[in-house]
Amino acid sequence: MSNSTVDVPLQGGFSFDLCRRNDMLSKKGVNPPSYRKTGTTIVGLIFQDGVILGADTRATEGPIVCDKNCEKIHYMAPNIYCCGAGTAADTEAVTDMVSSQLQLHRYHTGRESRVVTALTLLKKHLFNYQGYVQAALVLGGVDCTGPHLHTIYPHGSTDTLPFATMGSGSLAAMAMFESKYKEGLTKDEGISLVVEAICSGIFNDLGSGSNVDVCVITKGHKEYLRNHLLPNPRTYISSKGYSFPKKTEVLLTKITPLKEKVEIIEAGEAMEE
Amino acid sequence: MGDSQYSFSLTTFSPSGKLVQIEHALTAVGSGQTSLGIKAANGVVIATEKKLPSILVDETSVQKIQSLTPNIGVVYSGMGPDFRVLVRKSRKQAEQYHRLYKEPIPVTQLVRETATVMQEFTQSGGVRPFGVSLLVAGFDDKGPQLYQVDPSGSYFSWKASAMGKNVSNAKTFLEKRYTDDMELDDAVHTAILTLKEGFEGQISSKNIEIGIIGADKKFRVLTPGEIDDYLAEVE
Repeated sequence: MSNSTVDVPLQGGFSFDLCRRNDMLSKKGVNPPSYRKTGTTIVGLIFQDGVILGADTRATEGPIVCDKNCEKIHYMAPNIYCCGAGTAADTEAVTDMVSSQLQLHRYHTGRESRVVTALTLLKKHLFNYQGYVQAALVLGGVDCTGPHLHTIYPHGSTDTLPFATMGSGSLAAMAMFESKYKEGLTKDEGISLVVEAICSGIFNDLGSGSNVDVCVITKGHKEYLRNHLLPNPRTYISSKGYSFPKKTEVLLTKITPLKEKVEIIEAGEAMEE
Repeated sequence: MGDSQYSFSLTTFSPSGKLVQIEHALTAVGSGQTSLGIKAANGVVIATEKKLPSILVDETSVQKIQSLTPNIGVVYSGMGPDFRVLVRKSRKQAEQYHRLYKEPIPVTQLVRETATVMQEFTQSGGVRPFGVSLLVAGFDDKGPQLYQVDPSGSYFSWKASAMGKNVSNAKTFLEKRYTDDMELDDAVHTAILTLKEGFEGQISSKNIEIGIIGADKKFRVLTPGEIDDYLAEVE
Protein backbone atom coordinates (compact mmCIF):
# COMPACT_ATOMS: atom_id res chain seq x y z
CA MET A 1 0.00 0.00 0.00
CA SER A 2 2.52 2.59 1.06
CA ASN A 3 6.07 2.68 -0.25
CA SER A 4 8.55 2.02 2.48
CA THR A 5 11.39 4.50 2.41
CA VAL A 6 13.12 2.93 5.37
CA ASP A 7 16.01 0.70 4.41
CA VAL A 8 15.70 -2.52 6.39
CA PRO A 9 17.37 -5.77 5.39
CA LEU A 10 15.22 -8.03 3.16
CA GLN A 11 12.67 -9.90 5.18
CA GLY A 12 11.49 -13.35 4.26
CA GLY A 13 14.43 -15.30 5.67
CA PHE A 14 16.30 -18.28 4.40
CA SER A 15 16.25 -18.95 0.66
CA PHE A 16 16.29 -22.67 -0.04
CA ASP A 17 17.27 -22.22 -3.72
CA LEU A 18 20.78 -23.62 -3.46
CA CYS A 19 20.10 -26.59 -1.17
CA ARG A 20 19.74 -29.12 -3.96
CA ARG A 21 22.93 -28.00 -5.61
CA ASN A 22 24.81 -28.16 -2.32
CA ASP A 23 23.52 -31.69 -1.72
CA MET A 24 24.66 -32.77 -5.16
CA LEU A 25 28.08 -31.22 -4.64
CA SER A 26 28.68 -32.86 -1.28
CA LYS A 27 27.75 -36.25 -2.77
CA LYS A 28 30.52 -35.63 -5.29
CA GLY A 29 32.95 -34.86 -2.47
CA VAL A 30 32.94 -31.05 -2.50
CA ASN A 31 31.96 -29.99 1.00
CA PRO A 32 30.82 -26.51 1.97
CA PRO A 33 33.23 -24.61 4.27
CA SER A 34 32.70 -25.38 7.93
CA TYR A 35 31.19 -22.65 10.05
CA ARG A 36 31.82 -21.55 13.57
CA LYS A 37 30.12 -23.83 16.05
CA THR A 38 30.01 -23.30 19.73
CA GLY A 39 30.70 -26.94 20.70
CA THR A 40 29.60 -26.10 24.18
CA THR A 41 28.33 -27.10 27.51
CA ILE A 42 25.28 -25.11 28.58
CA VAL A 43 23.21 -25.86 31.68
CA GLY A 44 20.34 -24.50 33.68
CA LEU A 45 18.69 -25.37 36.95
CA ILE A 46 15.86 -24.15 39.13
CA PHE A 47 16.70 -23.37 42.74
CA GLN A 48 14.48 -22.18 45.54
CA ASP A 49 14.38 -18.49 44.54
CA GLY A 50 14.68 -18.72 40.77
CA VAL A 51 16.83 -19.96 37.92
CA ILE A 52 20.59 -20.31 37.42
CA LEU A 53 22.08 -20.61 33.94
CA GLY A 54 25.66 -21.61 33.17
CA ALA A 55 27.83 -21.89 30.08
CA ASP A 56 31.43 -22.45 29.03
CA THR A 57 33.18 -19.91 26.81
CA ARG A 58 34.85 -21.81 23.97
CA ALA A 59 33.82 -21.34 20.34
CA THR A 60 35.20 -23.82 17.80
CA GLU A 61 35.60 -23.85 14.03
CA GLY A 62 36.10 -27.52 13.32
CA PRO A 63 39.28 -28.49 15.19
CA ILE A 64 40.33 -24.91 15.93
CA VAL A 65 39.33 -22.84 18.93
CA CYS A 66 38.31 -19.57 17.32
CA ASP A 67 37.14 -17.72 20.44
CA LYS A 68 38.57 -18.51 23.85
CA ASN A 69 36.17 -16.29 25.75
CA CYS A 70 32.89 -15.90 23.93
CA GLU A 71 29.54 -15.08 25.57
CA LYS A 72 26.98 -17.82 25.32
CA ILE A 73 24.42 -16.48 27.75
CA HIS A 74 22.27 -14.08 25.75
CA TYR A 75 19.96 -11.39 27.03
CA MET A 76 16.30 -11.86 26.10
CA ALA A 77 14.48 -9.63 28.57
CA PRO A 78 15.39 -8.06 31.93
CA ASN A 79 14.06 -11.21 33.60
CA ILE A 80 14.87 -13.82 30.94
CA TYR A 81 18.23 -15.11 29.67
CA CYS A 82 19.03 -17.78 27.11
CA CYS A 83 22.10 -19.99 26.64
CA GLY A 84 22.84 -21.05 23.08
CA ALA A 85 24.61 -24.07 21.61
CA GLY A 86 25.09 -24.97 17.96
CA THR A 87 26.02 -22.56 15.20
CA ALA A 88 27.10 -19.31 16.89
CA ALA A 89 25.56 -17.05 14.23
CA ASP A 90 22.23 -18.87 14.48
CA THR A 91 22.02 -18.66 18.26
CA GLU A 92 22.95 -14.97 18.29
CA ALA A 93 20.62 -13.98 15.47
CA VAL A 94 17.65 -15.92 16.83
CA THR A 95 18.02 -14.69 20.41
CA ASP A 96 18.54 -11.12 19.19
CA MET A 97 15.43 -11.26 17.02
CA VAL A 98 13.21 -12.71 19.74
CA SER A 99 14.61 -10.24 22.27
CA SER A 100 13.53 -7.43 19.96
CA GLN A 101 10.06 -8.94 19.55
CA LEU A 102 9.73 -9.29 23.33
CA GLN A 103 10.65 -5.61 23.75
CA LEU A 104 7.89 -4.55 21.34
CA HIS A 105 5.47 -6.85 23.13
CA ARG A 106 6.40 -5.25 26.46
CA TYR A 107 5.62 -1.81 25.07
CA HIS A 108 2.24 -2.91 23.82
CA THR A 109 1.16 -4.77 26.94
CA GLY A 110 2.91 -2.64 29.57
CA ARG A 111 3.86 -5.84 31.41
CA GLU A 112 6.94 -7.89 32.20
CA SER A 113 7.67 -10.57 29.56
CA ARG A 114 6.83 -14.17 30.37
CA VAL A 115 9.22 -17.05 29.76
CA VAL A 116 6.58 -19.00 27.82
CA THR A 117 6.25 -16.05 25.44
CA ALA A 118 9.96 -16.20 24.64
CA LEU A 119 9.69 -19.98 24.38
CA THR A 120 6.82 -19.88 21.90
CA LEU A 121 8.43 -17.17 19.74
CA LEU A 122 11.67 -19.18 19.58
CA LYS A 123 10.10 -22.54 18.82
CA LYS A 124 7.86 -21.10 16.14
CA HIS A 125 10.83 -19.60 14.37
CA LEU A 126 12.94 -22.76 14.62
CA PHE A 127 10.13 -25.02 13.46
CA ASN A 128 9.51 -22.73 10.50
CA TYR A 129 13.07 -23.33 9.32
CA GLN A 130 12.78 -27.08 9.80
CA GLY A 131 16.02 -27.44 11.74
CA TYR A 132 18.17 -25.46 9.31
CA VAL A 133 18.62 -22.78 11.98
CA GLN A 134 20.95 -24.83 14.16
CA ALA A 135 20.35 -23.36 17.55
CA ALA A 136 19.91 -25.51 20.65
CA LEU A 137 18.88 -23.28 23.52
CA VAL A 138 18.43 -23.39 27.27
CA LEU A 139 15.94 -20.68 28.18
CA GLY A 140 15.45 -19.62 31.79
CA GLY A 141 13.76 -16.79 33.62
CA VAL A 142 11.49 -15.68 36.42
CA ASP A 143 8.18 -13.99 35.69
CA CYS A 144 4.89 -13.37 37.48
CA THR A 145 4.02 -17.09 37.31
CA GLY A 146 7.29 -18.20 38.90
CA PRO A 147 10.69 -19.52 37.75
CA HIS A 148 10.82 -21.47 34.48
CA LEU A 149 13.47 -23.47 32.65
CA HIS A 150 13.10 -24.84 29.12
CA THR A 151 15.25 -26.49 26.48
CA ILE A 152 14.63 -25.87 22.80
CA TYR A 153 15.97 -28.16 20.08
CA PRO A 154 16.92 -27.01 16.57
CA HIS A 155 13.82 -28.58 15.01
CA GLY A 156 11.53 -26.71 17.33
CA SER A 157 10.61 -29.16 20.08
CA THR A 158 10.82 -28.04 23.69
CA ASP A 159 11.11 -29.51 27.17
CA THR A 160 10.26 -28.02 30.52
CA LEU A 161 12.59 -29.29 33.20
CA PRO A 162 13.90 -28.55 36.69
CA PHE A 163 17.47 -28.97 35.41
CA ALA A 164 18.78 -29.21 31.84
CA THR A 165 21.96 -29.45 29.82
CA MET A 166 22.63 -29.00 26.08
CA GLY A 167 25.58 -29.04 23.73
CA SER A 168 28.44 -31.45 23.11
CA GLY A 169 29.33 -31.46 26.80
CA SER A 170 25.76 -32.11 27.91
CA LEU A 171 26.37 -35.70 28.96
CA ALA A 172 29.30 -34.77 31.16
CA ALA A 173 27.29 -31.95 32.75
CA MET A 174 24.16 -34.08 33.10
CA ALA A 175 26.17 -36.68 35.00
CA MET A 176 26.94 -34.04 37.66
CA PHE A 177 23.33 -32.86 37.80
CA GLU A 178 21.81 -36.33 38.01
CA SER A 179 23.96 -37.25 40.97
CA LYS A 180 23.84 -33.99 42.92
CA TYR A 181 20.62 -32.12 42.06
CA LYS A 182 17.87 -31.86 44.66
CA GLU A 183 14.88 -29.58 45.03
CA GLY A 184 15.10 -26.44 47.12
CA LEU A 185 18.78 -25.66 46.55
CA THR A 186 20.04 -22.38 47.98
CA LYS A 187 21.69 -19.83 45.71
CA ASP A 188 25.24 -20.78 46.70
CA GLU A 189 24.57 -24.51 46.40
CA GLY A 190 22.98 -23.89 43.01
CA ILE A 191 25.89 -21.82 41.72
CA SER A 192 28.47 -24.35 42.88
CA LEU A 193 26.50 -27.22 41.27
CA VAL A 194 26.26 -25.31 37.99
CA VAL A 195 29.99 -24.55 38.13
CA GLU A 196 30.76 -28.22 38.76
CA ALA A 197 28.63 -29.27 35.82
CA ILE A 198 30.24 -26.77 33.44
CA CYS A 199 33.72 -27.68 34.64
CA SER A 200 32.89 -31.33 34.01
CA GLY A 201 32.03 -30.33 30.44
CA ILE A 202 35.12 -28.13 30.09
CA PHE A 203 37.56 -30.81 31.17
CA ASN A 204 35.94 -33.85 29.57
CA ASP A 205 34.63 -32.52 26.26
CA LEU A 206 36.81 -31.22 23.47
CA GLY A 207 34.19 -28.80 22.19
CA SER A 208 33.98 -26.99 25.54
CA GLY A 209 36.65 -25.16 27.42
CA SER A 210 38.06 -21.97 28.88
CA ASN A 211 35.94 -20.20 31.49
CA VAL A 212 32.60 -20.54 33.25
CA ASP A 213 29.83 -17.93 32.87
CA VAL A 214 26.94 -17.96 35.33
CA CYS A 215 23.68 -16.05 35.38
CA VAL A 216 21.38 -16.01 38.43
CA ILE A 217 17.81 -14.80 37.89
CA THR A 218 15.43 -14.24 40.80
CA LYS A 219 12.20 -12.29 41.14
CA GLY A 220 12.96 -8.71 40.27
CA HIS A 221 16.73 -9.19 40.20
CA LYS A 222 19.43 -10.73 38.03
CA GLU A 223 23.18 -11.27 38.40
CA TYR A 224 25.22 -11.88 35.30
CA LEU A 225 28.51 -13.33 36.54
CA ARG A 226 30.71 -13.16 33.46
CA ASN A 227 33.81 -15.34 33.86
CA HIS A 228 32.71 -16.44 37.30
CA LEU A 229 35.45 -19.05 37.27
CA LEU A 230 38.66 -19.15 35.26
CA PRO A 231 39.94 -22.72 35.56
CA ASN A 232 42.18 -22.42 32.48
CA PRO A 233 44.41 -19.43 33.03
CA ARG A 234 46.88 -18.76 30.24
CA THR A 235 50.39 -17.91 31.18
CA TYR A 236 51.48 -15.72 28.34
CA ILE A 237 55.03 -14.61 28.91
CA SER A 238 57.74 -15.85 31.19
CA SER A 239 58.17 -13.11 33.77
CA LYS A 240 61.91 -13.14 33.33
CA GLY A 241 61.67 -12.67 29.57
CA TYR A 242 63.42 -14.81 27.01
CA SER A 243 67.02 -14.15 26.02
CA PHE A 244 68.35 -15.47 22.75
CA PRO A 245 72.05 -15.14 21.70
CA LYS A 246 72.46 -12.06 19.50
CA LYS A 247 73.76 -13.80 16.36
CA THR A 248 74.82 -17.18 15.08
CA GLU A 249 78.52 -18.00 15.49
CA VAL A 250 80.74 -18.01 12.35
CA LEU A 251 82.79 -21.17 12.26
CA LEU A 252 84.38 -21.21 8.78
CA THR A 253 84.62 -18.87 5.70
CA LYS A 254 85.25 -20.35 2.22
CA ILE A 255 84.56 -18.64 -1.14
CA THR A 256 84.23 -20.74 -4.33
CA PRO A 257 83.85 -18.77 -7.63
CA LEU A 258 81.31 -20.44 -9.92
CA LYS A 259 82.59 -19.44 -13.42
CA GLU A 260 85.54 -17.31 -14.55
CA LYS A 261 83.87 -15.80 -17.57
CA VAL A 262 80.44 -15.51 -19.03
CA GLU A 263 79.88 -17.21 -22.42
CA ILE A 264 78.00 -15.25 -25.12
CA ILE A 265 75.78 -17.22 -27.45
CA GLU A 266 75.32 -15.97 -31.02
CA ALA A 267 72.07 -13.94 -31.07
CA GLY A 268 69.34 -15.43 -33.20
CA GLU A 269 67.20 -13.51 -35.68
CA ALA A 270 65.61 -10.40 -34.31
CA MET A 271 61.96 -10.83 -33.45
CA GLU A 272 59.57 -9.52 -36.01
CA GLU A 273 57.49 -6.67 -34.81
CA MET B 1 -4.76 -2.20 -0.55
CA GLY B 2 -5.53 -0.45 -3.79
CA ASP B 3 -8.99 -1.35 -5.00
CA SER B 4 -9.32 -0.02 -8.56
CA GLN B 5 -11.76 2.64 -7.42
CA TYR B 6 -9.45 4.00 -4.73
CA SER B 7 -6.03 3.42 -6.12
CA PHE B 8 -5.58 7.14 -6.59
CA SER B 9 -4.64 9.43 -3.73
CA LEU B 10 -7.48 10.95 -1.73
CA THR B 11 -5.27 13.93 -0.94
CA THR B 12 -5.13 16.04 -4.08
CA PHE B 13 -3.98 19.59 -4.73
CA SER B 14 -6.45 22.46 -4.89
CA PRO B 15 -6.05 25.14 -7.57
CA SER B 16 -4.46 27.44 -5.00
CA GLY B 17 -1.71 24.91 -4.38
CA LYS B 18 -2.94 23.70 -1.01
CA LEU B 19 -3.63 20.17 0.11
CA VAL B 20 -7.12 20.62 1.47
CA GLN B 21 -7.19 17.25 3.24
CA ILE B 22 -4.19 18.25 5.28
CA GLU B 23 -5.79 21.56 6.19
CA HIS B 24 -8.82 19.60 7.37
CA ALA B 25 -6.56 17.26 9.30
CA LEU B 26 -5.05 20.25 11.04
CA THR B 27 -8.55 21.40 11.91
CA ALA B 28 -9.21 18.00 13.44
CA VAL B 29 -6.05 18.49 15.50
CA GLY B 30 -7.13 21.98 16.46
CA SER B 31 -10.35 20.70 17.94
CA GLY B 32 -8.59 18.05 19.98
CA GLN B 33 -7.65 18.41 23.64
CA THR B 34 -4.81 20.76 24.45
CA SER B 35 -1.35 19.34 24.82
CA LEU B 36 1.99 21.08 25.25
CA GLY B 37 5.68 20.49 25.67
CA ILE B 38 8.54 22.48 27.21
CA LYS B 39 12.25 21.87 26.79
CA ALA B 40 14.21 22.71 29.93
CA ALA B 41 17.97 22.96 30.34
CA ASN B 42 18.19 19.48 31.83
CA GLY B 43 15.13 17.70 30.48
CA VAL B 44 11.80 17.88 28.67
CA VAL B 45 8.22 17.85 29.95
CA ILE B 46 5.09 17.06 27.93
CA ALA B 47 1.57 17.37 29.26
CA THR B 48 -2.00 17.04 28.10
CA GLU B 49 -5.58 17.43 29.26
CA LYS B 50 -7.31 14.16 29.86
CA LYS B 51 -10.99 15.04 29.53
CA LEU B 52 -13.03 11.87 29.50
CA PRO B 53 -16.44 11.73 27.80
CA SER B 54 -18.18 10.68 31.02
CA ILE B 55 -17.46 10.23 34.72
CA LEU B 56 -18.20 6.53 34.23
CA VAL B 57 -15.01 6.05 32.15
CA ASP B 58 -12.20 4.39 34.11
CA GLU B 59 -9.51 7.06 33.84
CA THR B 60 -6.71 4.64 34.77
CA SER B 61 -7.27 2.76 31.53
CA VAL B 62 -6.67 5.84 29.39
CA GLN B 63 -3.03 6.67 28.72
CA LYS B 64 -2.49 9.55 26.35
CA ILE B 65 1.25 9.91 26.91
CA GLN B 66 3.19 6.88 25.65
CA SER B 67 6.86 5.99 25.56
CA LEU B 68 8.41 4.96 22.25
CA THR B 69 11.80 3.94 23.65
CA PRO B 70 13.20 4.16 27.18
CA ASN B 71 14.39 7.69 26.44
CA ILE B 72 11.71 9.04 24.07
CA GLY B 73 8.07 9.84 24.91
CA VAL B 74 5.20 11.22 22.86
CA VAL B 75 1.87 13.00 23.36
CA TYR B 76 -0.76 14.02 20.83
CA SER B 77 -3.68 16.26 20.02
CA GLY B 78 -6.40 14.96 17.73
CA MET B 79 -7.72 11.47 17.05
CA GLY B 80 -6.75 8.87 19.62
CA PRO B 81 -6.98 5.80 17.33
CA ASP B 82 -4.67 7.43 14.75
CA PHE B 83 -2.20 8.08 17.57
CA ARG B 84 -2.26 4.42 18.58
CA VAL B 85 -1.36 3.32 15.08
CA LEU B 86 1.51 5.82 14.88
CA VAL B 87 2.87 4.78 18.26
CA ARG B 88 2.88 1.16 17.18
CA LYS B 89 4.71 1.94 13.95
CA SER B 90 7.24 4.21 15.67
CA ARG B 91 8.05 1.64 18.32
CA LYS B 92 8.65 -0.95 15.64
CA GLN B 93 10.94 1.40 13.70
CA ALA B 94 12.90 2.21 16.86
CA GLU B 95 13.38 -1.51 17.52
CA GLN B 96 14.44 -2.18 13.92
CA TYR B 97 16.98 0.63 14.13
CA HIS B 98 18.34 -0.88 17.32
CA ARG B 99 18.50 -4.35 15.76
CA LEU B 100 20.44 -3.01 12.81
CA TYR B 101 22.86 -0.58 14.46
CA LYS B 102 22.92 -1.83 18.07
CA GLU B 103 22.54 1.75 19.31
CA PRO B 104 19.43 3.42 20.77
CA ILE B 105 17.74 5.43 18.03
CA PRO B 106 18.55 9.17 18.17
CA VAL B 107 15.51 11.38 18.67
CA THR B 108 15.88 13.12 15.30
CA GLN B 109 15.94 9.81 13.45
CA LEU B 110 12.79 8.52 15.13
CA VAL B 111 11.00 11.80 14.47
CA ARG B 112 12.07 11.69 10.83
CA GLU B 113 10.86 8.12 10.36
CA THR B 114 7.52 8.86 12.03
CA ALA B 115 7.13 11.96 9.88
CA THR B 116 7.92 9.87 6.81
CA VAL B 117 5.08 7.50 7.69
CA MET B 118 2.72 10.42 8.13
CA GLN B 119 3.76 11.87 4.76
CA GLU B 120 3.23 8.54 3.02
CA PHE B 121 -0.39 8.63 4.07
CA THR B 122 -0.80 11.94 2.22
CA GLN B 123 0.48 10.50 -1.02
CA SER B 124 -0.78 6.93 -1.20
CA GLY B 125 -3.86 5.37 -2.70
CA GLY B 126 -6.97 4.84 -0.66
CA VAL B 127 -5.78 6.34 2.61
CA ARG B 128 -6.36 9.57 4.44
CA PRO B 129 -3.84 11.67 6.40
CA PHE B 130 -3.48 11.06 10.14
CA GLY B 131 -5.65 13.33 12.26
CA VAL B 132 -3.02 13.92 14.95
CA SER B 133 -0.13 16.21 15.68
CA LEU B 134 2.56 14.71 17.86
CA LEU B 135 4.89 16.22 20.41
CA VAL B 136 7.95 13.99 20.74
CA ALA B 137 10.16 14.51 23.81
CA GLY B 138 13.52 12.80 24.07
CA PHE B 139 16.93 12.93 25.68
CA ASP B 140 19.94 11.50 23.84
CA ASP B 141 23.58 12.40 23.26
CA LYS B 142 22.56 15.76 21.81
CA GLY B 143 20.73 16.67 25.00
CA PRO B 144 17.03 17.27 25.62
CA GLN B 145 14.91 17.70 22.48
CA LEU B 146 11.28 18.49 21.69
CA TYR B 147 9.77 17.99 18.24
CA GLN B 148 6.32 18.63 16.83
CA VAL B 149 5.13 16.49 13.90
CA ASP B 150 2.12 17.57 11.84
CA PRO B 151 -0.32 15.51 9.72
CA SER B 152 1.49 16.68 6.59
CA GLY B 153 4.67 15.01 7.80
CA SER B 154 6.57 18.21 8.52
CA TYR B 155 8.40 18.41 11.81
CA PHE B 156 10.01 21.19 13.77
CA SER B 157 12.15 21.38 16.85
CA TRP B 158 10.66 23.60 19.52
CA LYS B 159 11.79 25.10 22.80
CA ALA B 160 8.16 25.10 23.88
CA SER B 161 5.02 24.37 21.93
CA ALA B 162 1.31 23.74 22.32
CA MET B 163 -1.38 22.17 20.13
CA GLY B 164 -5.10 21.53 20.23
CA LYS B 165 -8.02 23.64 21.38
CA ASN B 166 -6.33 26.40 23.26
CA VAL B 167 -3.24 26.70 21.15
CA SER B 168 -3.00 30.48 20.67
CA ASN B 169 -3.52 31.35 24.35
CA ALA B 170 -1.19 28.60 25.43
CA LYS B 171 1.55 29.67 23.03
CA THR B 172 1.29 33.31 24.13
CA PHE B 173 1.53 32.20 27.74
CA LEU B 174 4.55 30.05 26.97
CA GLU B 175 6.28 32.81 25.05
CA LYS B 176 6.00 35.04 28.09
CA ARG B 177 7.05 32.43 30.58
CA TYR B 178 9.79 30.55 28.76
CA THR B 179 13.44 31.06 29.70
CA ASP B 180 16.40 29.22 28.23
CA ASP B 181 17.87 28.20 31.57
CA MET B 182 14.69 26.74 33.07
CA GLU B 183 15.11 23.66 35.22
CA LEU B 184 12.89 20.60 34.75
CA ASP B 185 10.85 21.30 37.90
CA ASP B 186 10.17 24.89 36.79
CA ALA B 187 9.16 23.57 33.40
CA VAL B 188 6.62 21.21 35.01
CA HIS B 189 5.15 24.13 36.97
CA THR B 190 4.95 26.25 33.84
CA ALA B 191 3.30 23.39 31.96
CA ILE B 192 0.65 23.02 34.67
CA LEU B 193 0.00 26.78 34.70
CA THR B 194 -0.34 26.80 30.91
CA LEU B 195 -2.85 23.95 31.03
CA LYS B 196 -4.73 25.75 33.76
CA GLU B 197 -5.14 28.83 31.55
CA GLY B 198 -7.66 27.25 29.24
CA PHE B 199 -8.97 24.58 31.54
CA GLU B 200 -12.72 24.18 31.88
CA GLY B 201 -13.53 23.04 35.37
CA GLN B 202 -11.26 22.08 38.21
CA ILE B 203 -7.76 20.87 37.32
CA SER B 204 -6.70 17.74 39.21
CA SER B 205 -4.39 14.72 38.89
CA LYS B 206 -7.29 12.80 37.35
CA ASN B 207 -7.78 15.02 34.33
CA ILE B 208 -4.24 15.86 33.24
CA GLU B 209 -1.32 13.68 32.27
CA ILE B 210 2.35 14.71 32.51
CA GLY B 211 5.43 12.94 31.17
CA ILE B 212 9.01 13.94 31.93
CA ILE B 213 12.48 12.95 30.91
CA GLY B 214 15.46 14.18 32.88
CA ALA B 215 19.23 13.82 32.77
CA ASP B 216 18.83 10.14 33.67
CA LYS B 217 17.50 9.69 30.10
CA LYS B 218 14.50 7.68 31.27
CA PHE B 219 11.11 8.78 30.07
CA ARG B 220 8.28 8.27 32.53
CA VAL B 221 4.71 9.35 33.09
CA LEU B 222 4.13 10.98 36.47
CA THR B 223 1.88 9.14 38.89
CA PRO B 224 -1.32 10.89 40.07
CA GLY B 225 0.37 11.31 43.46
CA GLU B 226 3.29 13.21 41.95
CA ILE B 227 0.94 15.36 39.88
CA ASP B 228 -0.96 16.23 43.06
CA ASP B 229 2.31 17.33 44.67
CA TYR B 230 3.12 19.61 41.75
CA LEU B 231 -0.42 20.99 41.72
CA ALA B 232 -0.13 21.79 45.41
CA GLU B 233 3.14 23.62 44.78
CA VAL B 234 1.57 25.65 42.01
CA GLU B 235 -1.35 26.78 44.17
